[in-house]
Amino acid sequence: MSAATAGAAPTSEILRLTDVGKSYGNVHALRGVSLSVRQGEITCVLGDNGAGKSTLIKVIAGLHQHTEGQLVVNGEEVRFTSPRDSLERGIATVYQDLALVPLMSIWRNFFLGAELSTGWGPFKRLDVRTMVRTTDEELTKMGISVPDLERPVGALSGGQRQCIAIARAIHFGAKVLILDEPTAALGVKQSGVVLKYVAKARDAGLGVIFITHNPHHAYLVGNHFVILNRGNVSLDRSRQEITLEELTNEMAGGAELAALSHELSTAVPAPDTTGR
Amino acid sequence: MRIRSRKAAVIALAATAALTLGSCSSSGGREDTDTGGAAAGVADTPRIKIAMVTHAAPGDTFWDIVRSGAEAAAKKDNVDLNYQGAPEAADQANLVQSAIDAKADGIAVTMAKPDAMAPTVKAAVDAGIPVTVLNGGIDAWQATGAIGYFGSNETVAGEAVGTRLSTEGAKKVLCVIQEQGNVSLDARCAGVKNTFTGTTENIFVTGTDMPSVQQSITSKLQQDPAIDRVVALGAPYALTAVKAIADAGSQAKVGTFDTNEELVKAIQGGTVEWAVDQQPYLQGYLAVDALWLYKTNGNSIGGGQATLTGPAFIDSTNVDRVADFAAKGTR
Amino acid sequence: MSTSVSSPSASAALQGKDDRVKTRSVTSRLLSRPEIGSLIGAVAVFVLFCVVAPTFRTAPSLATVAYSASTIGIMAVAVALLMIGGEFDLSAGVVVTTSALAASTFAFQLRLNLWVGIVVALLLALAVGAFNGWLLMRTGLPSFLITLGTFFMLQGLNLGVTKLLTGGVSSDSVADMDGFSAAQAVFASTVQVGGVGVKITVFWWILFVAIATWTLLRTRVGNWIFAAGGDAAAARAVGVPVRRTKIGLFMAVGFCGWFVGMHQLFSFDSIQSGGGVGQEFIYIIAAVVGGCLLTGGYGSAIGSAIGALIFGMTSLGIVYAGWDANWFKLFLGVMLLLATIVNLVVKNQASKR
Repeated sequence: MSAATAGAAPTSEILRLTDVGKSYGNVHALRGVSLSVRQGEITCVLGDNGAGKSTLIKVIAGLHQHTEGQLVVNGEEVRFTSPRDSLERGIATVYQDLALVPLMSIWRNFFLGAELSTGWGPFKRLDVRTMVRTTDEELTKMGISVPDLERPVGALSGGQRQCIAIARAIHFGAKVLILDEPTAALGVKQSGVVLKYVAKARDAGLGVIFITHNPHHAYLVGNHFVILNRGNVSLDRSRQEITLEELTNEMAGGAELAALSHELSTAVPAPDTTGR
Repeated sequence: MRIRSRKAAVIALAATAALTLGSCSSSGGREDTDTGGAAAGVADTPRIKIAMVTHAAPGDTFWDIVRSGAEAAAKKDNVDLNYQGAPEAADQANLVQSAIDAKADGIAVTMAKPDAMAPTVKAAVDAGIPVTVLNGGIDAWQATGAIGYFGSNETVAGEAVGTRLSTEGAKKVLCVIQEQGNVSLDARCAGVKNTFTGTTENIFVTGTDMPSVQQSITSKLQQDPAIDRVVALGAPYALTAVKAIADAGSQAKVGTFDTNEELVKAIQGGTVEWAVDQQPYLQGYLAVDALWLYKTNGNSIGGGQATLTGPAFIDSTNVDRVADFAAKGTR
Repeated sequence: MSTSVSSPSASAALQGKDDRVKTRSVTSRLLSRPEIGSLIGAVAVFVLFCVVAPTFRTAPSLATVAYSASTIGIMAVAVALLMIGGEFDLSAGVVVTTSALAASTFAFQLRLNLWVGIVVALLLALAVGAFNGWLLMRTGLPSFLITLGTFFMLQGLNLGVTKLLTGGVSSDSVADMDGFSAAQAVFASTVQVGGVGVKITVFWWILFVAIATWTLLRTRVGNWIFAAGGDAAAARAVGVPVRRTKIGLFMAVGFCGWFVGMHQLFSFDSIQSGGGVGQEFIYIIAAVVGGCLLTGGYGSAIGSAIGALIFGMTSLGIVYAGWDANWFKLFLGVMLLLATIVNLVVKNQASKR
């Protein structure tokens, strides 16, 4: 599972942010963020709580509009007014906690908002058979196997839910996948499973924005790393330009951390302070 | 009016495009009626101020009739009538107090909750203001020093119905109560039971949901085919009972307390046998008129006893006389 | 990073090797349907009254029970859809009266054909629903509060406008107006089935439940209703038009309110302006007994029909059994509680399998 495998093919830029900013009244939640997402690459956006990660997602996903800068999708400048706009441009967002409707069955969730219909006029109805079959195929393709697609999603584990959401985004032709802290609430093994599907999505040719505050997870799959700090980009490097140790260090606050480490002068290794 | 109605019809048609038939109703609909009261000439006595304070809830037909009776008397007697109503006893007492403060020449008041009202009514009497009591408080009015009482007694009305049912030869009566826990409705059915020689059975229905009223009566009649009379405690429920009887295929006949325009038509048409009422118009009228007589001529009505305004039966023998008045909302 | 917590089953499940997740049997699937608990409750109530009340067993009595269930059920089915969509409508009872009053007063005052009044009332009822839904989506306030406001407003309008126009508290009789007999045939006639008179509302009710069930389970809109009630934010994020869906559901309640209102108008000729108050809870109860979750996202249209049936059987069964009428409400409460508990137990059993 090496991230280097995907970097070989020539890639094209799908999404670009230039000096994007977002302010709510007097509060600048985001300032001068520049970011580029390429096909078959994973761009990791790291940052502490309140660094502006979720604002960034909301701008790209169409929940909020940016107030400064440019958002360019496939060479065309855009301004999204609704999540639908964003979806139509091939940008799919998998949210950490609101990815799926818990009480609905797996296949209904899979096709939610993009249901297949068959028949004509008043007899137009959901094409349940095709939808169940497609869901099964897509999940199998991703290596996910759930015995009963009628089960409510709420009965599945967090990792399974994330994977279903990712599989759904890929199936519906997403070109850019935004993953909002997909591993945050998960244990180590489940996180590993999810990271595998993130890599699969990348291998399928998608551009991935992987939002996380865990540099270890980011470094496992990422091609490019951007660290946000108080709404600004504090680091922007490609994989070749940075080591895990440096990334961890930057993420943990760099110089601030060194000072803290000195102050505490205990045996606790620095990276551990980044965990939850 | 005509132009406006056409316009509205055109708009409605254009909006819906649902109708190809002519939209004006050839029968039924609103008719132009004059709403003249029963007032004759106006008295030449000096103008006096009378306050009427009842426990009426807003939007109750019964009290509209009481009020129109009071207004007719006021018009005739050259009285400046101030009508107020409040269902809560405390609010009603406050209204009476404000009439005392305003130095009214007379006060007509209902005493549905005698304990709560008596002190304020006494205060009015002590202040030298003549008071008449109407509709409720038959056991309490004398103690307050009021000059007269005009009303009915639910139990007495029920007993009159029971007696009538016995003479008609009824065997089993179903008394339909549309509001569970209402004391005066219970008193009516209890009165029926007191004097009726056959069996009386009560049934509770949800008065706010007409279909369920019909369904409950239908099912009761299906369950007990021996029931040969249904007594309703309000005009709309009597009309619903008629439909329930048809549904159940029963032979029972319908009688009722209180009337309205539709019910009078039903008595004329023979689907409802009779209605008993307490003549609310008379209560309002007499309460005001008695005050005027007392003020201008020192008269009192009833000789220190309650003046009963009911029960009065409306049936096929006198319904035609009542029908016109009912249409005007005075019966 | 906490390394001690791990969940070995997750990856196994994803590989299809999780032995804890068994394929569920058909019975287990059947038992996990929302309406199954209420169905068992309904059978129990039916058997009880069949045993204790001989009249209950006869065909005319069952027709009366079906009529009773239908007048509740037509509203309950729309209320159930709305509850699945995650919202309440406390104005559902009063809107029935409002539409009936609107139809009769409009046609009566302007001397129009009754069908004009019927159409105007329909537009009004839909507008009330749209207003509820629009205000809800606009303000984000709980639907409980917004519809409580509409509830009071409509109640006041019903009384006020009726008093203003007719001088009384009930609407004028429309029995002799043009279009009455046709409207009565549609909304309030009796159909002879094997010698037994069955009210036409029963057939309408069955039709509405069938349409609602079809919509819920086999159309995109149905999917959206479940999603809007289950998790509105998630639904919005995947492109479900939550706003339109919810407004549509409120309008569906308006439509059914209009229908029941028309039934009342053409059954009773004139309408009491204070009517309908308190009915909204009966509709909600029928939906909840039928398996709808109060929190939304779960339930069924058939369940609401079974809930209405339980209500109809209980309220009239007490009469057929000849039990003391004073105890009516108590029996009703016990019956409803039992049905709901059976519902809950069955659901828990089903999810354990």
